[in-house]
Amino acid sequence: MDYGRSDDAVVANYSHGEALRILAASRPASIRAVAERILDDLGEVVVITNRTGLAMLPYQDTVKGTAFHLGEVLVAEAHIAVPGRGVEGYGAVVGRDLEQAMAIAVIDAAMAAHHDTASIAELLDAEHAYQREADRQRLRKVEATRVQMETF
Amino acid sequence: MAYVATRGGEHAIEQAERLFRSDLGTISKDRVEGIRSSLPYLVDRLMGEASLYEPDLAALALAQAGGDLYEAVLLLRAYRTTQPRIAIAEPVKQPDLFTVRRISAAFKDIPGGQILGPTLDYSHRLLQVGVLTGEDYTPEPVIPAAKPAPATQPSLTDWQKAQGLIAEHPVETIAPEEIPDLTREPLLFPVPRAHKLQSLARADTGGTLALGYATTRGYGDIHPTVNEVRLAEAPVLLRHPRGTVFSAGRVRVSQAEIISKSKNLELGFSATFGWNEVKVISAAILDRATSQPNPHAASTEEFVLYHTEPVESSGFCIHFKLPHYVTFQSTLDAYRRVKADGEASGSKPVIKEPAKKEEVAL
Repeated sequence: MDYGRSDDAVVANYSHGEALRILAASRPASIRAVAERILDDLGEVVVITNRTGLAMLPYQDTVKGTAFHLGEVLVAEAHIAVPGRGVEGYGAVVGRDLEQAMAIAVIDAAMAAHHDTASIAELLDAEHAYQREADRQRLRKVEATRVQMETF
Repeated sequence: MAYVATRGGEHAIEQAERLFRSDLGTISKDRVEGIRSSLPYLVDRLMGEASLYEPDLAALALAQAGGDLYEAVLLLRAYRTTQPRIAIAEPVKQPDLFTVRRISAAFKDIPGGQILGPTLDYSHRLLQVGVLTGEDYTPEPVIPAAKPAPATQPSLTDWQKAQGLIAEHPVETIAPEEIPDLTREPLLFPVPRAHKLQSLARADTGGTLALGYATTRGYGDIHPTVNEVRLAEAPVLLRHPRGTVFSAGRVRVSQAEIISKSKNLELGFSATFGWNEVKVISAAILDRATSQPNPHAASTEEFVLYHTEPVESSGFCIHFKLPHYVTFQSTLDAYRRVKADGEASGSKPVIKEPAKKEEVAL
């Protein structure tokens, strides 16, 4: 699953798409702590939107290739502007957590402004490692259910 | 006894609602979280039928409805109408699915192998009655394999197409915002395939099961085998204002392909929110059954899709208990008039009585 890999790296070795994906899946306490630190000296922030809403999720039928709508996913999104630095930030996350969406938007704006990239890179490294390990542990359990069937 | 129109009853109505809610007791955040964590498959089923993915809200709907699924679906669909649509995600494609279960009943040696994943398919169904006497039931932990399974699994249908077992279908490229959408357009027949698959994705699980089962028992011409069933997590790929596509998180999905061997090898497909194998297998059977050139009357698109819509069908059923005094009175008036006319003309209406059975002493 490579999202946004074509983007140039924005922080450390992470493309914009990878960074946003890691932030969306981050643990709330970790991301909020970094966002609050960034807010202290990012400058004035104007909130453009901070709301929940629906994202329709299309799905591809594997038999005939028909694209259809599976249903709608509730997402929280935040869109901010930092006029003093001439950048905007955007965050969206599955669910209702507006604070998580806002924290992503703040970090996204900071990435666009190349502000405090060391803290952001540290957060991304830690959360990326945590998420990869969680997936790895889950998939080790899944692999334990691989079955070799015999027919007689 | 008189049959008349009524009005009023505000006090009784309010007390009736209070009685319903007081029977359920206080609904707290802990209670909702308990439902979400302990009944994930029920939450999944609800999200699929409500066509809204949000496990916390689904658990809340179940708590408020006291577990009445149709009421909970209605609550969740009603909530959905309060929310603006802010995006159409990128289409979910099979190679993107973080797959935890993927089996085939048609082919033993499928590319990528058979992964049972979380399932009770091969287990004894034993009630842990000791729990009721204070013995906690703690499941045995999984012994993880040394290496993780691949996060994604290859397409079985691609392999079958390459083998020449099933027909290739030209894939129509369509922009996500151009996909026909049941929430914005009515269901009209013959339905576009996109409408049919969307309708089945949010169909009533029990309804799809009943009709899918019926079609395999003789009210149709389908002889299904599960080509593939897959439980997975799908990324929700949104677009940043600067154009970057990124995953805003993953949602649980299930999908099934069934293969019917009636004439040629033909596949049916279904997918839905959440992990719900009964739903996707039976819906895939219905996809195949309704795609037949001359389907059985119980397998036409109109019959299947209208009768598996949970909110409309349950709403229509339960509306019968609401006051129908005026309409029923008009029926009675007509009945009495016919009876009076018959008596006036001297000819009694003939009422055929069923043949008498042997009386049974009670």
